[in-house]
This record gives sequence, structure tokens and C-alpha cells, in this order.
Amino acid sequence: MEKFGRDEWVAQIEGRRKARGPWLRLAEQWQRVPLGLRFALFIILAAAVPLATDNDYVIRVAGNFVLYSILALGLNLVVGYAGLLDLGYVAFYGLGGYAYAYLSSDFSGLHWPTWASIPLVMFLTALVGLLLGSTSLRLLGDYLAIVTLGFGQIFVQLTNNMTRISLPGRAEPVDLTGGPNGIVNIDPISFLGFSASTVTHYYYLLLALLALILIVVYHLNNSRVGRAWRSLREDELAAEAMGMPTRWLKLLAFAIGAGIAGLSGSVFAAWQGNVFPNNFDVTLLILLYTMVILGGMGSLPGVVMGAFILSVMPEVLREVELSRYLFYGGMLFVLATMIRPWPRLVLVLVGVLVGGYLLKLAVMALWPTLVTTPEVASSFLGRALQAWLIIPPQATLIGNLAFVVVVPSLLFLSRTRYTIVRLIALIPTLYLLAFVWETRLAVEPSITRLLLLGVLLVVLMIYRPQGLLGQRRVEII
Amino acid sequence: MDLFWAQLPQQIINGLTLGAVYALIALGYSMVYGVLQLLNFAHGDVYMIGAFIGFGIMTALLPDKGDPLLASPLIILLMLMAAILGCGVLGIGIEWFAYRPLRSSPRLAALISALGVSFFIQNAIQLTLGAKFRSYRGDALIPPTLGWDIGSARLSAVRLLTIAVAVLMMIGLTYLVRRTRLGRAMRAVALDREAAAMMGVDVDQVIVATFFIGSALAGVAGVLTGIVFTRIWHSMGFTAGLKGFTAAVVGGIGNIPGAMLGGFLLGLVEAFATGFISSTYKDVIAFMVLVLVLLIRPRGLLGAAVLKKV
Amino acid sequence: MALLELSNVHKHFGGLLVVHSLFLTVQPGEIVSLIGPNGAGKTTVFNLITGLYAPDQGDIRFDDSSLLGLEPHQITQRGIGRTFQTLRLFLNMSVLENVMAAAYGRTCANLAQIIFRTPGFRHEEAHIRALAEEKLAFFGERLQGYRFDQPAYSLSYANRRRLEIARAMITEPKLLLLDEPSAGMNPNETQEITHLIGQLRDQKGYAILLIEHDMNVIAGISDRVIALDYGLKIAEGSYHDVVTNEQVIEAYLGRKHEIRSR
Repeated sequence: MEKFGRDEWVAQIEGRRKARGPWLRLAEQWQRVPLGLRFALFIILAAAVPLATDNDYVIRVAGNFVLYSILALGLNLVVGYAGLLDLGYVAFYGLGGYAYAYLSSDFSGLHWPTWASIPLVMFLTALVGLLLGSTSLRLLGDYLAIVTLGFGQIFVQLTNNMTRISLPGRAEPVDLTGGPNGIVNIDPISFLGFSASTVTHYYYLLLALLALILIVVYHLNNSRVGRAWRSLREDELAAEAMGMPTRWLKLLAFAIGAGIAGLSGSVFAAWQGNVFPNNFDVTLLILLYTMVILGGMGSLPGVVMGAFILSVMPEVLREVELSRYLFYGGMLFVLATMIRPWPRLVLVLVGVLVGGYLLKLAVMALWPTLVTTPEVASSFLGRALQAWLIIPPQATLIGNLAFVVVVPSLLFLSRTRYTIVRLIALIPTLYLLAFVWETRLAVEPSITRLLLLGVLLVVLMIYRPQGLLGQRRVEII
Repeated sequence: MDLFWAQLPQQIINGLTLGAVYALIALGYSMVYGVLQLLNFAHGDVYMIGAFIGFGIMTALLPDKGDPLLASPLIILLMLMAAILGCGVLGIGIEWFAYRPLRSSPRLAALISALGVSFFIQNAIQLTLGAKFRSYRGDALIPPTLGWDIGSARLSAVRLLTIAVAVLMMIGLTYLVRRTRLGRAMRAVALDREAAAMMGVDVDQVIVATFFIGSALAGVAGVLTGIVFTRIWHSMGFTAGLKGFTAAVVGGIGNIPGAMLGGFLLGLVEAFATGFISSTYKDVIAFMVLVLVLLIRPRGLLGAAVLKKV
Repeated sequence: MALLELSNVHKHFGGLLVVHSLFLTVQPGEIVSLIGPNGAGKTTVFNLITGLYAPDQGDIRFDDSSLLGLEPHQITQRGIGRTFQTLRLFLNMSVLENVMAAAYGRTCANLAQIIFRTPGFRHEEAHIRALAEEKLAFFGERLQGYRFDQPAYSLSYANRRRLEIARAMITEPKLLLLDEPSAGMNPNETQEITHLIGQLRDQKGYAILLIEHDMNVIAGISDRVIALDYGLKIAEGSYHDVVTNEQVIEAYLGRKHEIRSR
């Protein structure tokens, strides 16, 4: 149908595609592989992990990755497909966990078999999802966010406090949730006589679930329901006017998302063997959202990739040496993309290295008490950094002060336009940044990873809102 | 039942105190939402920073041993002013770096960015100042026994201070919004940003001013919270922010008298829930109030119906 | 029997009466144009018919059953399709998907069929796709071939208007509500769209209620014209009758003032 010829827009896209680097072409080759094959390859690769290593820790991390993938997929369905900002999603996860724990543990005395408890739990969470959804349907997107956020908070509060509930017909108040001590000794998942007991068992179970859910979600997306969800996200009014029952569709998305979360919660409870209220707090919610956003809302492989990055990265951060390499490597990468041409980059780096070392020499000469020798690090990079940086005796305090200085400096640097000023100011800032990392951030990996999460969210939204694998969206506001 | 009536005046006082704090936080939320249609999740953390700024000033001026360096009223004034300045500047900074680049992006982007900022601030404080509680030494500033008996209730000086400062700020804000040029500009931008820009209003300036004022109010709320309720910690902003937002929504988001009304109402509800029902479930009850109000009157108590042209 | 019948419909927003004792009918297979100055309430009438607003008074009947109280998607499924004055396409979805999405109301695959990809489901999907391609083919070469997979935001303005009509068509309506279909088009495109609307009636048998400002379009295809002003019907009849009606001229151009000498 070439009557009008290929238009300008299409020509531009082709041109841009050819101009991009080898990475993109590699990605394109990957895209040419049929979907079924790509999916099978992924599953096979993932299944090979327990065969490749004996280390239970690694398998546990991999298991977490798969668990978070499932959760993120459910969230993606609610937020990415239907466009409903559900900030209480983690409560459904928790509900699943606690419900399964209640039905299958010493706590309540009930020991329902898995084939009975899990379907019931899924049904229960989907039902609650439906209820919550139907109350919030009339609300504007922003209000929905707040109501669901409140719901998530309430869940944590209730699980922390429902330890003495007076039920009619019972003399003594009943403990429903175990309070802050949670529910322990939860039955493992068992079916057909087989009872999951090791990390590897649960890993394969979770992987099977992930494969299943990926297929189900993919099918849903490529059907009239999926198209209706996407239309709903684009323009709810127009979707309704084109014959799509928007209310029902939203409820469906909510319920399915909740059901997936509930299922994950049950498996989590069985795997971990116990559940506590703070397993389901806001931090996990933000982590899940970042996974979906980083990977690309609405993109299935993107979500899985996001889950991978954000479940593996924190583990890497725990290892001081590894995290060092990651941090400095990442910093170099960012600098390389922002400072061109490369002579300037070299200039800045040399300036930092030389300036820092001169500073250390000066301080050692003038105020020798200000320089301490810390315990020797194990890697080459670590030792080099320790030789180069000044580590004062009150490292924590000075590190904190440096942190307070570094943050605004970095912010200003990212927004100034004067190149010379920028480059010169970059030198002390980079030094301080390294200093802050060594004295504070590397020392507190759990807080650091949360800090980086916050930064990641902001940076993503400003520079790449579609995430890694998502599509750039056009929106009329 | 008699117990109810006997306790009522005290609970009303407690409710108004709590409500004063919520109202101040709610005002910041409402103002920013009115002008940018953005739920500023970081607002609660600005409130937390205000509490910490006040704490810092107080610690500097009230040594552990010996006499305070200045008279109490002066110290309190300094704390408030420092919080106003510090939080105002922080608010402006947040807008500049995290929200301004997203002005023309879909609303979800700015919301997520706000979440990220909130998370960052909370954890930055945890990193630098630690996770343990800090306690205001309110008793050194205002003797806890100072107060007045009103019937069966006791209005302590601390609570009176909180309510008085809050009311003063609200009066000031109302005057600003109703009678000054800036206030008019703010109302115009809230109604229709493009039209206001075309009428010569410097929209960026108005937004910066809005953030400054809203954040300053949150800062004041933070200091007052420290003085009345003593304990401050790095994640106090989250719950308080949520409550503040609830109050703003209940009153009608974008509506300044609504935020004040919502704040006091929520404070009263929470005080009554704590005093008469159960203190463990006060947050649950507050949340139920939110859901109820939104179900019955989706635009809030004083909110205007939003008419969209199709 | 009238296909669409509005009886004594009133609608106000706050204190403003936007539609006032409106009586309106559309017969099967005819094209009725709705004209009037801006703010006369024309789009409001569309919104009332499609269920986005509920009338304060009066009845709206389609195919001899009342539409009051129905949800908009139910009204669409009864056989009324529409386009919007300010285009409301699903911009980030492809051209084909935009049309396929609107086929929802005419399909019946349930969740189980979808999840298990039954042959019934596959058959229906192929059917939806064929239907969508057929609707798009109505517009000639413009929305064909490579265009199918392009996102809707890449289309030119005129093509977007055409896509919106195609999307409305797949809902298999008996009555099409077109809201200013020629807005923003140059004379060539206007002529094309006029011809197209005529074809919609002749070839597809739709009844069409049309809001338009461009008199060329209206003159070209209307069977009947209705004029509104401030929510009231001020004239009804053939094109010529309405256009020469004094009240109509006054509504558009204002009243001639007589110059009084002192």
C-alpha cells in the first residue's frame, strides 16, 4: 500500500534506529527470537541456578528475586495495565501471608492442607481487593492513592494490635495475629505427599508459579480484556463511551492483582516459616513500585528485570568490597555519560585524584592527629582508597557533615549550566562523595540502599520515566 | 455515660491541640495541591525536619546543666523562626529539583518523584542522626504545671500555645490569600494556571511562594509537636503526613478553610477515639473517617464540585 | 417509529440551564444536523444521549426503550456510537488496537477462555481483527497496511478524526453521533469527510446525528437540520428552511438594531 509513500515519521524512526549503537542492535536481535523461545530460555536459565551452586544463600537470593517478580507482576497489572494507583498493594501480600499462617500453623491449631488453604487465601484476598476497589472506584486517581495507602498502614497496625479481640461466645479475648511477635512455625507447603522443606524446593515452586503467572498475564494482556485495560488507562471516559464497562474492568484488575499478591504471601509465609507485621511495610511497597517503574510499567520482561536488579543489588551492597566496585564504577559511568568529550573527564578525574592526595599530604604534615589508619581493606581498590582518602578519627560525625554538604552540592551541579564552574566545582564534590561513601554509606548498607532507592525514583522520573524496557508514553494532560 | 460528659471537655482540648497540628500540615498539602494538582508526599518529611530544626535550636540554647541562654519565650520564637526559614527553603528546594522538571509530565511522574524524595529525606535523617527517638525538653521551656482549669478539664499552657500559634498562622494565611496580591495570584493559578500566566501572573514565583508558605507551616507544626508531644524520630513524618493529607481531603482538597476544618475535625475524632474507644485503634478510626467522608461526599466537606467539559 | 427520541429534556449545571425542554427525533437511516452557536448545548445533548450526564427532566428513548439510568457502556452496547469534539483517541495504542479495543461490547470471551487460549477465543480474536481491518478499509488507503501498527499519536489530525469514526463504527451502532467531524480540516478534507458521512448512511445504513459548524458539510448531506440556541430548539426543518429562519440568523449574527432618531 505505497500510494502515499512512507511518511516522514516512519522515516525518522528508521533513521534513528540505524544510528544507535551496537547494544540496541543486539537487543533487536533478541527481540526477533520468538516469544515462546525467549520465555523458555529464561525459565531454563533460572532453573539451572540451584544446579550451578550449592550455596544456600545464593539460592535464597534467587528465590527472593522470583518472589518479588511475581509480586511486581501483580502490581504491574493494577498500575501498569489498568492505571490504578494502588499504594496498599503490600497489604494484600500481608493478608495472604497472615491468612495462610492462621490456617496452617500451631498458632490457631488449624493445620489445613495446602490444597485447601491456598485457594481459600487467594479467594479471600481477591475478595478484599474487590471490596477495597469498589469503595474507591468513584475516587479520583489521587484519592485512590491515599485511601489505598491508608489501607496499607491500617493493615500493619491491625496485625500489630489485634492480639486481644473479644468475640461473642468466647470467654477469653482471642489473639488473631500474634502482634509484633508474629506467627511462627508455619506449616510448609505440601501436596501429593511431598512437603517442601529446603530453599531449593521453594525456589522451584516459586519459579513454577512465576512461569504460570507470566503466561496468564500475557494471555490476559493480549485479549479484549487487556485492550480494554489499556484503553482504560489511556482515557477512561472514551473507553466507557466505546462500550467497555470501566467499573467492572477496574475491579477485575484490582482483584486479580490482590489475588496474585495473596498467593505470593502464602508461599512467602510457608517458606519463611513465620510472618511479622513489618514484613509488609511501606519500604517493601516502595521497593515494588521502583521495580515496576525501573523495569518499565506495562512491560513484562521489564518488570522481571526491575525485580532482578532491585533484589540482587541490595545483596551486593552488603559486601563492602563488592559494593565499592559497584559504587565507583557507577559513578564513573554516570560521569562518562555526562562529561564529554573525554579529555574533560580525564581532567576532572586527575584533578580529584591529585587534589585529594595533596590534601592528605598537607593535612598529614600540619595536623597529623587528624589522619587515622583504618583496618586494611581486602581488595586492591579498597586499599588504594584508604591510602588516598583522609579518614579522620571522628569519621561518623565528619562523614555526616560531609553528607549534608554533598547532597545540595550535587543537586546544584546537576542544574547549573556554566560548564567551567561545573567542572571545577565537581572536583571537591567528587572527593567529598567518595569520603561520604567510605565513612558512612558503605558502613550502613541497609540505610544506603533505601537512600539510593529514593534517589533512583526521582532520577528515573525526570530522565527516563518509561524505565528500562517500557514504551515512551504520550499524554495529553 | 457520665464518664463521657466528664471527660468530654478534656478530650475537646486534646482534640483541638492535635487538630491544630494536623490543620497546619493539611494547609501545606492543600495549597500545593491547589496550585500544582500534586500530592506532595514529601510534605510530611518537611514537618519532621521542622521538628528536628527546633530540636537543634533548643539543644543549643538549653544546656544540660545551668541556665538557659535566653528567656523561654525567646527560645520558642527562635525555634519557630528557624523552622519556618529552614523548612521553607527545603520546600523550595524540593520543588525546584524534584517537581519542576516534571511540570509537563503526567501526574503520576511527579507523584512517584514525591515518594522518592520522601524516602530519601527520611533515610538521610536516619543516616546522619540515627534511628532513636529524640525528646524535646518541653518542660524546661514551659513548666508542665502551668495551666488553667476549665471545669473538669485542664488547659495546660503548652496546649494553649500550640492552638494559639496555629490559629495565628491560619489567620495570617487567610489574610494573605484574601487580601494580598500574592494571595490573589495564588488563587488564580489554582483555578487555571495557563490563564493566570496569560494574565501576567508569574506562575513560577507563585508556586515557589506556595511551597515556601506551605512548608513553613509544616515546620511550625513540627516544632509545636515537639513541644507538646515531646518525642521526635525520623519516620514521624510519614504517619503525620498521611493524617494531614486525610484532613486536607476531608475538608476538600485545594480549599484552605477546608484544610483547617478538616484538621481540627480529624484531631477531635482522633482524641475522642483515643479517649473513649481505644488508643491502639485510633489510626484505624481516623482512616475509616476518611473513607466514610470520601464515600458520602467525594469532594470533601467544603470542596467545590469539579466540572469537566467533555 | 423513531430510532432516537428525546422528550422534554432539561439539564442544568448549577444555576445554568443548558438544555431546555428539548424535543428531538432521529429516524433510522437519516442524517440530522444539529447546529447553533457555541455554548448552545449541542455537545451536552450528545452527553445526555450517551449517558455521561443524566437529564434533570424528560425522557430519552432509543429503539423504543428508555436510556435513563443506564451506564454509558450499556448505552453504547444498545447501538449508539460517538466521536468527540476534542479527539479522545487511545494515543499510545496502535491504530488497529484502537479499533479492536472498541469491539469489546460485541464480543464475549470470558476469563477462562482467555487464560487457556481456547480455540473459541482464538477464533473470536481473528474475527475482531478482521472486523477492525474492514472498518479501517472504509477510509481508503490512509489507515491501511503499515499504519495498522503505528501508535495513534503519530497520525495526522485528519487521520485521527477518521480513526475515531472507525472506532465508533466497530461498536456496530444503529445511530452514530458525530461531534464536529470536520473541525480543523481544510476544504479538501472537509469535502472528503462530507462524502464519507454520506457513504456511512448510504452504504452502511447508519442513522447519524451530526454537530457541525461548517455549513458546506450540512448543506451537502443533511436530511434535516435542527438549530439550538441557549439550550432551546429554535428551528427545525430542511437546510434551506432553517438557514433562512430569522431567529437562527439572529442567534449567529445578532439582531439588527434600528437606528432611532431623537
